Amino acid sequence: MTAASSAEDNVLVIGAGMAGIEASLTLAEAGAKVYLVEREPLFGGKTIKYEEVFANMECSTCMAAPKQQEVLQNDRIELMTLSEVREVKGEAGDFTVGVHRKARYVDAEACIGCNACFDPCPVSLPNEFEENLGERKAIYLPCPGALPNVPSIDTERCVRFTENKECTLCQEACMFEAIDFNQKDEDVELKVSGIIVATGSDLIDSSQLKELGYSGEGNVYTALELERLYASNGPTEGTIQLRDGRTPSSAAIVHCAGRKDTGYCSAVCCMYSLKFVHYLKDKLPDTTVHEFYTDMCIPGKKYQEFHDRMKDKVNLVRYDELSVSPNGGSVGISYKSGAGTNEKLDVDMLILAPAMVPSRGAEELAGMLGIEQGGRGFFGSSTGSPAESGKGGIYVAGCAQGPKDIGQSVAQAGAAVGRFLSAASRGFSGE
Amino acid sequence: MEKRIGVYVCECGPNISEALDIDRVVEAVSGMDGVVVADRYKLLCAGAGQQHLVDQIKEHDLTHLVVAACSPKEHESTFMSVCEKAGINPYMFQMANIREQVAWVTPDKEQATERAIRHVRAAVGRVIRHTPLATREIECNPDVLVIGGGIAGLSSAALLAGPERKVYLVEKEPALGGAVKGYEKLFPGMRSGSELVQRYQAQVEANDNITVLTGTTVKSILGFLGNFEIAVENGQGEGQEFMVGAVVAALGMKEDTESLGEYGYGEIDDVYTALEVEAMNLEGRLALKNGDAPKSVGIIHCVGREHSEYCSSVCCMAGMKIGRYLKDKLGDVKVTGFYRDLCVPGCDAEQFYRETRDAGMEFVRVGRVEVHDSGNGIVLKCGTAEGAVKEEKVDMVVLLPSVQAAEDVGALAEMLSLPLGPHGFMIEEHEKLAPVNTSMEGVYLAGGVTGPGTAEQTLSQSEAAAGRILAGLVPGRKLETEARVSEIRADLCAGCRTCLTVCCYGAIDYDPMKGICVVNEVLCRGCGNCASACPSGAASHRHFTSNQIYREMAEILK
Repeated sequence: MTAASSAEDNVLVIGAGMAGIEASLTLAEAGAKVYLVEREPLFGGKTIKYEEVFANMECSTCMAAPKQQEVLQNDRIELMTLSEVREVKGEAGDFTVGVHRKARYVDAEACIGCNACFDPCPVSLPNEFEENLGERKAIYLPCPGALPNVPSIDTERCVRFTENKECTLCQEACMFEAIDFNQKDEDVELKVSGIIVATGSDLIDSSQLKELGYSGEGNVYTALELERLYASNGPTEGTIQLRDGRTPSSAAIVHCAGRKDTGYCSAVCCMYSLKFVHYLKDKLPDTTVHEFYTDMCIPGKKYQEFHDRMKDKVNLVRYDELSVSPNGGSVGISYKSGAGTNEKLDVDMLILAPAMVPSRGAEELAGMLGIEQGGRGFFGSSTGSPAESGKGGIYVAGCAQGPKDIGQSVAQAGAAVGRFLSAASRGFSGE
Repeated sequence: MEKRIGVYVCECGPNISEALDIDRVVEAVSGMDGVVVADRYKLLCAGAGQQHLVDQIKEHDLTHLVVAACSPKEHESTFMSVCEKAGINPYMFQMANIREQVAWVTPDKEQATERAIRHVRAAVGRVIRHTPLATREIECNPDVLVIGGGIAGLSSAALLAGPERKVYLVEKEPALGGAVKGYEKLFPGMRSGSELVQRYQAQVEANDNITVLTGTTVKSILGFLGNFEIAVENGQGEGQEFMVGAVVAALGMKEDTESLGEYGYGEIDDVYTALEVEAMNLEGRLALKNGDAPKSVGIIHCVGREHSEYCSSVCCMAGMKIGRYLKDKLGDVKVTGFYRDLCVPGCDAEQFYRETRDAGMEFVRVGRVEVHDSGNGIVLKCGTAEGAVKEEKVDMVVLLPSVQAAEDVGALAEMLSLPLGPHGFMIEEHEKLAPVNTSMEGVYLAGGVTGPGTAEQTLSQSEAAAGRILAGLVPGRKLETEARVSEIRADLCAGCRTCLTVCCYGAIDYDPMKGICVVNEVLCRGCGNCASACPSGAASHRHFTSNQIYREMAEILK
C-alpha cells in the first residue's frame, strides 16, 4: 500500500477491548482513518475489570490506560461509544456500514469529568459493570477511571425518559453546562474498505449451571465478581468480603464451570484461578483456599513458574464431578475426586471460573457481516489463518475468534491488521 | 534571550477553586525569577481557555508557559499544542498537577494551598531551565529480512512483499517449509500440513518481490529500525550484503533432547520422539525396527517437563495426532496416551480429544513413567497419581519432548544484542501488549523463537509481525525521532561503556575510533537509565537534566 492510498482508507473496528484498541492504533499508524465502534459507554473491554493480570501480576488498568489515552488522543481514530453496527453492505474495499449511535446526553467537549452530577440523581440501581455488586445512578460512569471520562445517562432508568418527569437535578449540579437533554440518537453511515471484528467474549450465564448453585445472591461468585471485589476501583475498593459483609475464612475456586455444556476448554481459566489464589492470600492471608480443577492447563513458557509459586498457598484438588449446595451460611461442595472417592467440603465463599462463550449478539453480527461462525459460535474460518473471517475484507481478532489470553488477542489484532493492509495494497484481489 | 514565563492556574470549575486559595498560589509565584505574568482562569482546557493562553503568550511575548491544572495525562498534549499554535517550542512548557495530586486528595484548604504553591513553584523552577527540543526525520528502507522459511516466515513474507517492498527470506536448510512440512496432518482439524505450507510457499514463490535464499545463514545484523545492514552467507561460503528496514525472526522450534535418555531413548529399540514418528509416518513406515507393525504403542506426555519447567502447550494434541495416525493406518493397534494433565485449550481442541478417544486411543492419567527393556518388549512402569505403580507392556514408545527454540536463536540474539529469556526463548517487549515486538525497534518475533505454540498461534504472530511492519514502515514515509531522549557529551565521556550495559533498547553504540559512546536517537526511548548510570555526567536526558530535576525538587522541599 502506498502512503497516499492508505490515508484514504477508512476501516471499521467493531469492539474496543484490547484487541480492538491494538487494531485501531496499528491501523492509524499505517495512515488509515479508523472508526472504533463500542456498544458500551466506556471502552477497554474485559481487561479494565481486572486489578492484575497473570502471570506477572501487572496492574491491569495501568497497562490498558496508556493505550486507551493513545486512542483518545489519536486524530485518526474516531471512538464511537454507545454505538452498534446495524447494517453492512458491500464487499472488500467498499463496505457501507450503518451504525446506530445512542445519545450520551452529556457533551464530551464541555464535561470535565468531575462527577458532580451523580449525587443529586434520585435513581439508584445495581451497577452492571460491577457485576451488580455496587450501585450507580441513572447518570453515571461505570467505574472510577472509566474512559472516556464522561458520564452518560441511562435512558432506561432516568425518570425524564421513563416517567416523563421534568427532573433537571444533574443539569443543575453541572458547573459546565455539559448536560444536554436535547441530544438525539443518530444513525450514521460509514464508508470503509475493511472491517475488523473484535467483539470479545462473554462468560456463560452461571445461573444456568444448576449443579453449581449460583444465583447472584448468597456466597457463590463468578470470576468477574471476584475481580471486581479485589479491584481498588471496585465496589468495595478492594476488600474481599461476602455479600453480608463477613470476611470468608475459607474459599474454593472451581475450574471448568460449564465446560461440559460448552464442550471446550476456555484456555485462560486455570491461570486466572491461580491468580485468584494470589488475590485471596494477598488480602486475606488467614483464609484457607481450595482449588478444584480437572486438568491443570497452563500452556506456554511463562505459566508453570506462576503455578509453582502459587501451589503451596492453596489446596489443589483434582475433581471429576462436583456439585454445590447452600449449607446454612456456607457453601457445601460434594465432589468425586480424581482418585474416584466421594468427598464433601464446606467453605464460606465459592468462586466459579465459568466457560467463555461468544459475546452477546454474535450470531446476529455474523449474519450481518456474512462471516463464518464455527460450531461453538466463535467467528473465523476453519481453513485459513486465524485472523481470516471467511469473507474478504473482514478480519477477526481476539476472543471473538475463540478463548485466548490478552497477549494472544493483541497478537491476533496485529494479524488482522497485517492481512487487511496486505490485501488492501493488492486491491483486495484474491480475497 | 530574556526568559519570560507565564503562569496560569486553572480553576477547573469548583474542583480546584473550592479546594484551595488560588489567589495565594498566583501571588506566591508572581515574584519568581522570570515570571512576567501569573493569573487564574476558569477552565483552561476548554476552547476559550486555550485561545486565552494563545492570546496571553502573544500579548506578553512569553518564552515559557506553566499551567497549573489537572494531571498531565489529561491535558499535557493539549497545552503543548497551544504553545505550538502561539509560536513557542512545545517543550518550553511545564504542567503542575494541582487537581489529582492536591485538590482531590487534600481535604484541608490551608494545606492544599500550601501544597499547590510548592507544586507550581517547582514547575516554574523547572521550566526556566527547559531548552527547545526538536524531532528529526530520517530516511528509512521499507525492505524486510525474514529469517526462517517455515510457516511463520513464509506467511510473514507473503503478506509483506509488494511492488514497493522487497523481502529477503533466508532459510538455512536447502528447502523451505520448516517443521510443518514434515507433518502429514495438523491438529485439531487434521488438515494437511504440507498443503498449508504449499499455500504459503506458492504465494512466496509467485511473488517477484521476494528473494528466497535457501541454504543460507545470517552472519550479521547491524543498525536500527529503517536502516539495518545485513550480511548473509550460503553453504559455499559466498557472502551477500543488503539493507533492510525491519527483521522478522521466525527461526522455529526443536525438540528438547536433554531428558530423552531417562526414557530409554537411544538405548532401547523402538523408543522414538514425536518428530521421528512424524517422519516415519510421512514415509509410510509406521513400523517397529524389525519391520513389523506395532500391536501396542505407549505415548508418553510431558517428557522433560521437569527439566524445561514449562508446559510446551502442543504435546498433548501432537500425541493425539500420532495416535490417530497409528489407528488410521494400522487399525489393529492398542494406543495409550500416558498424560499428567490434559492440556487442550481453545474451542476445537477438546473436540479433537473426544474424536481421538472415539477412534480408539486410550488415555491414562499418570505421574512419572519409566521405560524398561524387559528383554521381551518394553515395559512401562507408571506411577499413578495415587502413588500405585502400574505396569504396561508395549511394542513401541513415542516420547513427547518439551519444545525449545531453534538451535540458532542464541546466535541471533547475540547478533542483535538482545537477551534470551530463562528458557532460551527470545523475549517479547511486553507479554500482553507487544507480544511480537522485541525491545529493539524493527525486530519482530514469530513462532517457536518466542515460545511453544500451535500452527494457529504461529500464524497469528507471523501475520502480526507483518502488520506491525506494514503499519510502521510505510514506503516513502520518514521516521520521526522522539525529542525527549538522552544524549552523551563527547567531551565528558570517558568511554567506560557503563551506559551500554543499562540501555534496554540497544540505543547506545560505542565508537572505538573516538573512544566514546553515542546515543542513537531513533532507538532511544528516553528512559534515562544511561543518565543515572553514567559516572562522569556525560550522559543526560534532554528533558530531565539534573539541573531541571534539582530545581524542581528544591522548590517542592523548600
